[in-house]
Amino acid sequence: MTKQTFLHDKHLKLGARMVDFAGWDMPVQYTSIIEEHRTVRENAGLFDVSHMGEIIVYGEDALPFLNKLVPQDISRLIDKKAVYCQLTNKNAGIIDDLIIYKLEEKKYLIIANASRIDEDLNWMVRNKRGFDVTIVNESHNYSLLAVQGPKACELIKTLGVEELPKFFFIKRAELFDINLWISRTGYTGEDGVEILVRNEFSEYLWDKLLEAGREFGIKPIGLGARDTLRLEASLHLYGNDLDENTTPIEAGLAWSVAKDKQEDYNGRHVIEEQLKNGIKKKLIGLKMLDRAIARHGYDVYFNNEKIGIITSGGISPIRGDNIALAYIKNLDNLTVGSTIQVMIRDKLHDAEIIKRPFVAKRNKESK
Amino acid sequence: MNESMLCTKTHEYVLEQDGKYEIGITDYAIEQLGDIVFIELPETGAEFAKNEAFATIESVKAASEIYMPISGKVVEVNEEVVNSPELLNDETYENKWLIKIESSADQVEFADLLDYSDYKEEIE
Repeated sequence: MTKQTFLHDKHLKLGARMVDFAGWDMPVQYTSIIEEHRTVRENAGLFDVSHMGEIIVYGEDALPFLNKLVPQDISRLIDKKAVYCQLTNKNAGIIDDLIIYKLEEKKYLIIANASRIDEDLNWMVRNKRGFDVTIVNESHNYSLLAVQGPKACELIKTLGVEELPKFFFIKRAELFDINLWISRTGYTGEDGVEILVRNEFSEYLWDKLLEAGREFGIKPIGLGARDTLRLEASLHLYGNDLDENTTPIEAGLAWSVAKDKQEDYNGRHVIEEQLKNGIKKKLIGLKMLDRAIARHGYDVYFNNEKIGIITSGGISPIRGDNIALAYIKNLDNLTVGSTIQVMIRDKLHDAEIIKRPFVAKRNKESK
Repeated sequence: MNESMLCTKTHEYVLEQDGKYEIGITDYAIEQLGDIVFIELPETGAEFAKNEAFATIESVKAASEIYMPISGKVVEVNEEVVNSPELLNDETYENKWLIKIESSADQVEFADLLDYSDYKEEIE
């Protein structure tokens, strides 16, 4: 049976078209994906992302335990700071990509992908031996609402949160007399916040945010626009761009791998080998040179030889062209500016390798 | 929608006009697709069998093949919607047909098409 978030009725009342996403009945769009996309780039959007997982890890060994699980160096986190990282297997394949928050000494919050919560928990339990640590799945207790866009932070400030957390920080706050967590994170490339709230308050908070946000042009935004927004920002989607056969280095995530970390971690030997000797496949950004749309699973060619595969692709409402992420053989002569081809319905279409992100991110200026 | 349209269960329609047939997708199909961003149509002169894919329509989310309600030869394509696919989502725009064909389809080919009122029941 498909699961429903605590905001399911709200989506139906707003006339959303619902689709199955990772076993959840979620809104894909309320009006139009393109309109919703523009709303987030121009004003502010409200997202229900309550399907995402929340896992608390605490205990004497919480820090060394997490440091064994991810290539990032969790010891560098100060209180309330968050970091993007990956849960890697023994071969450095990505089990999930996560945001880990240090809530306090020896207590961490992990935000996980809905589709991967079970795998994440299994893996954590399998790695737990010898660590004095407790792992609690809080996913069923919490809703997650994202407010994203150039006016998102302004809106939250008018609601009495005078000082918002800085980029990639979380803080305890009160909105409409509800105690909740606000973090300066998101999945759109825009400035904004994600609000973690206990389920029983999520409907009230949703209504209040839409009401208070009206003067800022806030609109509810479905998963369709969430996908086009994250693609423009070149943010990976687990299951499309990341999987257990892909390492963080191949995925272009070397920036999220600590180079001088003391502890060993799962897959470290593979990551170090790849950093030293290079990788066989690499993630690239593409723009189509005609109007054809590259999509997940389409083959990529160079000189009539298959060299890779599209993992995410679609339109860019802001650029006005069609963009994609692809894994290709790591050939020296294929770099930014090179033209390659995408096979679309038995025809090759030219595409140019371009720099990522496809649309400049606007969240880091708030650092 | 025009009451004399005949529709397929896969949401294409065919409408006879001056001895030719206009083919397109139903309003319901357009609504289900959402924002239409790309339309690929065949060249004039191309011939297709009934139920053969003759066009591709892409929304933001996915690519969908469009099938021939009846067999025939393409005599005209709607370049306007190819150049501006979003016109299909525009409620004020009327020329939402995709291709016009000449057809010598017999009654057998028409047998499984739904008249508009039956189609409306089908989608409700």
